[in-house]
Amino acid sequence: MTTSLSPRTLGIHAAPSAPGPIGFSRLVRVEWAKATDTRAARWLLALVALSTAGMMLVPVLAPTTFDQTFASYLRVAALAVTILLPVVAILMFTGEWSQRSVMTTFTQEPRRIRVLNAKLAASMVLGGGAAVFGGVVTAAGLGLAAASGRPLEANLTVGATTGYLLFVLLNVLAGVAFGALLQSSATAIAASFAFPAAFALLGTASTLVADWIDMSTTFNWVLENNWGGHVPQISVSVLFWVAVPLAAGVVRTIRRDVG
Amino acid sequence: MITTTALTKSYNKMPVVRDVSLRCEPGTITGFLGANGAGKSTTLKMIVGLVRPDRGTATIDGRPFGELPNPTRVVGTLLDASAMHPGRSGRSTLTIAARLAGVQPRRVEHLLDLVGIADAAEKRVGTYSLGMRQRLGVAQALVGEPGALILDEPANGLDPEGIAWMRTLLRDFADHGGTVLLSSHLLHEVQATADHLVVISRGAVVAAGRLDDLLASSTILVRSPDPGALAAALQVARIDYVAGPGDALTVDVSGGRVTTEVLAGVARDHQVLLTELRQSETDGLEQLFFSLTAAKAAPPQEAAA
Repeated sequence: MTTSLSPRTLGIHAAPSAPGPIGFSRLVRVEWAKATDTRAARWLLALVALSTAGMMLVPVLAPTTFDQTFASYLRVAALAVTILLPVVAILMFTGEWSQRSVMTTFTQEPRRIRVLNAKLAASMVLGGGAAVFGGVVTAAGLGLAAASGRPLEANLTVGATTGYLLFVLLNVLAGVAFGALLQSSATAIAASFAFPAAFALLGTASTLVADWIDMSTTFNWVLENNWGGHVPQISVSVLFWVAVPLAAGVVRTIRRDVG
Repeated sequence: MITTTALTKSYNKMPVVRDVSLRCEPGTITGFLGANGAGKSTTLKMIVGLVRPDRGTATIDGRPFGELPNPTRVVGTLLDASAMHPGRSGRSTLTIAARLAGVQPRRVEHLLDLVGIADAAEKRVGTYSLGMRQRLGVAQALVGEPGALILDEPANGLDPEGIAWMRTLLRDFADHGGTVLLSSHLLHEVQATADHLVVISRGAVVAAGRLDDLLASSTILVRSPDPGALAAALQVARIDYVAGPGDALTVDVSGGRVTTEVLAGVARDHQVLLTELRQSETDGLEQLFFSLTAAKAAPPQEAAA
């Protein structure tokens, strides 16, 4: 390795042709790497995996209080995965503001919407991967239950599986929306626990809130593949928790001066 | 080539940058000099699209930064060496920048060597000193093999050896046709590194030009055995002066009207004997800096009106 300062070393005039734009797949891969390559991120992902595996023991060990069906086991995985997974999604969008490395990111790709789209795509890969992992843990849990010789109802339909996947992705998207809008890790994580809890509480007082906004109700319909008559309510809830805050977050990110 | 035209920015109606126009040519190092809070960083951030100007434009090689397809390949930036993820290693930080820029991974090793942090490449950036982060930041700026560099206070946190290294690197970069724009609040730093100078005070450019020209035109020192008679003669000729150093007088010639020849003529006309008449060299830039940033800058309320 040379350390002399030739033009080649410094790189001036070295680019043989005008460089093309940064491809979207490259952006996604880099965002994925940034979301998963730090010690903190790996601990968090390990915690997601561990808590999912841990919670899967509940239906295995308490057969009398839990429906011993494929679908109910999968629902346990869904609920377990989505406790901490939204936090990983939030950090994807807020981490760079908190660490101020947005300065580098947005000078490397000044079209901020492309960076946000790449983060969104990476978060969907994360959600999909987590859903698959939850499926594997569910299979393991069912295997353990079957080994104990108890009867299990194999009631897993395509609809139930789709509902499960959508539920996980919707929870990740809600995290994405909180992160994109609030742009601060601490604030967004606190809000992502406080606001759904607050609306769940309000839901106990008002059926209007419960049926149209409270995600513990509406997203559960998705998980239970219970769409009958609930499509408008689920849609409003998705607008409220995902579409509107995400759109506002995109506008805010594009306009924000990086200090 | 980096150019800006009348860049202007206010925060909460407080003007931070006012009508800043710059022009940095290939092959030169432009020092952007100003006190802390003078508007240097905000100007640089407007050039690279991190801050939206209220008015004015900035271009790199004739195009706005935001329209460069892959800006890292055109202009390298180091705006804040502490704005890096502390949990990532130096190599990992640089690798991410290299992947986004679309350059070969071996350039990462090469740059780690070049900036002298290869031994610490596996350590987390959070454990780096500010000087090491500056070096990593320079590597990151160079990652896309750019033709221009924009650096905000690159000497911050560097030890004397590091500062000398940085000067050599930037001089080499410029000598090979690169364009460098660097900011500093340290006079001597700019004096030793830059060949062009833009002085900013309270958001506005108060002086710009070649360093040599700005230095040469600052002040003339004139001395007489009879300082009182010399002072009287200058007053009659309506030439501003300040007393000192010692019993000599210092004449501000930055306006261009007064030269050594003019002063010699005044002395002759008033029969005053001169024993010394020369451009003051020592601390020329320092005097310029203080006079420009303190006295000549318009107060902010005037600008707001």
